Amino acid sequence: MFKNRFLLLIILALMLIVSACSDGEIKDSGKEKEKEGEDKPKVEEVEKSGGSLVLGTTAAPTLFNPLFSTDTSSSTIEGFIFGGLVTVDRDFNPEGDLAESWEFTEDGLKWTFYLRKGVKWHDGEDFTADDVVFTYGIPKDKAYVGPRGLPFENIKEVNKIDDYTVEMILSEPYAPFITITAQFEILPKHILGDVPIADLATHRFNTKEPIGTGPFKFKEWKDGEYIELVANEDYFKGKPKLDSIIYKIVPDENTLMAQLQVGDVSMTGISPQYVEMAKKLESEGTVALSTGASNSWEYIGYNLRNELFQDKLVRQALTHAIDKEAIVQAVLDGAGIVANGPGSPANWSFNPDMPKFEYDQDEAKKKLKEAGWEPGADGIMEKDGKKFEFVLKTTSANEIRMQIAEIVQQQLNEIGIKASIELLEWSAYVEQTGPPVWNFDAIVAGWSIGSDPDPTWFWHTSEIENGLNYGAYSNEKVDKLLSENTLISDLEERKRIIGEADAIVAEDQPSSFLYHPNGTLATAPNLKGPIFNASNTYYKIHEWYFE
Amino acid sequence: MTTYIVRRILMAIPLLFLITIISFAMMQMAPGDPTALMMDPMIKKENLEAYKEANGLNDNVMVQYFRWLGNMVQGDFGYSLIRQGVPVSELLLARLPNTLLLMGVSSVIAFLISIPLGVISATKRNSLTDYSITFVSFLGIATPNFWIGLMLIMFTSVHMGWFPTGGVSTLGSPFSLWDRLHHLILPAFVLATADMAGLTRYSRSSMLEVLRQDYIRTAKANGFKNKTVIFKHGLRNGLIPIITILGLMLPSFIGGSVIVESIFAWPGIGLLFIDGAFQRDYPVIMAVVVIAATLVVIGNLLADVLYAIFDPRIEY
Repeated sequence: MFKNRFLLLIILALMLIVSACSDGEIKDSGKEKEKEGEDKPKVEEVEKSGGSLVLGTTAAPTLFNPLFSTDTSSSTIEGFIFGGLVTVDRDFNPEGDLAESWEFTEDGLKWTFYLRKGVKWHDGEDFTADDVVFTYGIPKDKAYVGPRGLPFENIKEVNKIDDYTVEMILSEPYAPFITITAQFEILPKHILGDVPIADLATHRFNTKEPIGTGPFKFKEWKDGEYIELVANEDYFKGKPKLDSIIYKIVPDENTLMAQLQVGDVSMTGISPQYVEMAKKLESEGTVALSTGASNSWEYIGYNLRNELFQDKLVRQALTHAIDKEAIVQAVLDGAGIVANGPGSPANWSFNPDMPKFEYDQDEAKKKLKEAGWEPGADGIMEKDGKKFEFVLKTTSANEIRMQIAEIVQQQLNEIGIKASIELLEWSAYVEQTGPPVWNFDAIVAGWSIGSDPDPTWFWHTSEIENGLNYGAYSNEKVDKLLSENTLISDLEERKRIIGEADAIVAEDQPSSFLYHPNGTLATAPNLKGPIFNASNTYYKIHEWYFE
Repeated sequence: MTTYIVRRILMAIPLLFLITIISFAMMQMAPGDPTALMMDPMIKKENLEAYKEANGLNDNVMVQYFRWLGNMVQGDFGYSLIRQGVPVSELLLARLPNTLLLMGVSSVIAFLISIPLGVISATKRNSLTDYSITFVSFLGIATPNFWIGLMLIMFTSVHMGWFPTGGVSTLGSPFSLWDRLHHLILPAFVLATADMAGLTRYSRSSMLEVLRQDYIRTAKANGFKNKTVIFKHGLRNGLIPIITILGLMLPSFIGGSVIVESIFAWPGIGLLFIDGAFQRDYPVIMAVVVIAATLVVIGNLLADVLYAIFDPRIEY
């Protein structure tokens, strides 16, 4: 009797395992079952030679609709599925995509886009001007609650001239119009046209059946595992050479590196702490690396609401006390460029001649003295009986920044400034440091520039209350230059103005600008096409192939 | 027996209720909200506010809790705040089988390895074998399983190529039982290590207890072979208390699955939970809490019932 019961238990356990094994796909309704049936004959597809590009990432996407998603994974996949009027090449130059060409009036207010003819949506329908008018109308609608309202604010009218010509009228000239607004991917009117705008965010189109005009078609999203896209044979720039793209989710970075090493992943970005390991793999011939300046900078940001940091001399002294080169060596293994001000050498608007405050402890002490700070009895700087002590906050989500915090703490200590470190989990960090809380003395953080270099977001006084100007930096001259910068369509003139503003910011040092990190891309050695660049990683992906 | 089970189930309801209150409160107390991820210069403030309003994030915490509870009781876990438009139940259904499979196989591995080790340890008490097993057990308790996982990936997958580096199956290949098992072995083993050490120690002491009993001595005196005495008379009785451990192992399995699933890219509810927690996807967090709590309650109940079945002396 006893024996039988025990046997029964084991058999039951085994049955559970086998049934769970064979039943990974859950059928929760009749509909799903039918769908599964349709999918079945996928086995015999693996005959073509183009191969499958497996992109490895630690972050899962959220949804595939450019007007509603904010994360990098989603926008990468959107770039494969959809097309925009304009895209950028590897140097941030706008290039025609769904628009073959465009022109604008001298005042920069009227833009005319001439659309490509013969472009088909993935479901076979024709792409026309109606789709463009529809898409650009969404963020302008009162019922729109998505995260992409701002780039569309200056658009006054979107008019269809004929099936392949669209005209947009702006309320004022806006330079990022072509580099940001015109790059938003176009959505199909024939599918979403009848959906109430308020329901678009949650529509099944975004997660179950996105239809675009891009080089790859959505096939399947296996939750927590991968997203599979297959080549769009009718792609208007030519049939992609790759058969498919698999966007694979590997949450742990160590595991991702292991997968890269055994070839389970054919392309992934390498974060700084793994660059050394990646270089070793490169020397063994397991992967190919491509590297270059990325479009960002890391900094120690000061809260100028705090008395400690209100004196420009003090901020300059702090920068003098920080050995940036040592930081680049220590945390990046040298894979970065020391920064003197905002912007990035990867960007066309970069000003290489900004004021420098180089590592010099004596100079730091001299400037502090000038500002009224003297060493106290315990060696810590004092002014009017107040000690120079503050809390340096950063997020535990970023290993590099934690390391920077420790190094900076030590370096400041050497000139008699006491910084204590506080680590916060990401959401907590965002809430504490952002508007309207701004509960910080100083932070270790980083900014990255989008496809347009407009610095307004970071430094303009108008961005203090709700925007990204967390440190509350304000300089009238900078405000004036920045307000001007977006009104100018001429690239050279705009570059001069941004450069001038950036130089003033660098002189004011609202942050100690640390470095511009290099980006590193690892690929399978036989994958041809990808080249690291800060502008458009997947440029011309339809021409990529495996050798 | 039936009344006992019914009574236990009824008692579990207020317990689960309490768990949801505590979890909900803790979740709300954690700083930040789902919009932290949307920190982006392209957002218009009024749109952000509208998003919060539309998802009820501006409501009083009590209102939010009871709205959630009301829906949950009707089997509606709501929609993900991050993966907008996707029902939480859909995410759970896709992930739960993976986690259950992992936990099931893990417990089988844990039992198959630990019990024999415990028995050997007990019968060869104070021998070199016993000491070695004890040593390895303590090593097992002291080693975090993410480290074991990474080491195994490095050696058995990357260097030796015996196992895949992660995932539930080979990408793009048709379903095969062998392929699934091949992907399952490493994560299940790593998850099992968390409990193996304790289980070995437990079965050792349980066996020692039994071997000291009068009936064992009687059996030996009657001239039964040592093997028969240990396995027929001793083991059967020694195993009974271990059933209780089954119920107690579940919470540590669920906790361990969060880590093991991350390392092995295993799409289960542990991974869903950790993503949900970082993104402050409240409905997802709560749904996983409810599922995990229910599993634990059921696990404990099951252990008690099995105990009664296997030990005729116990009646409820």
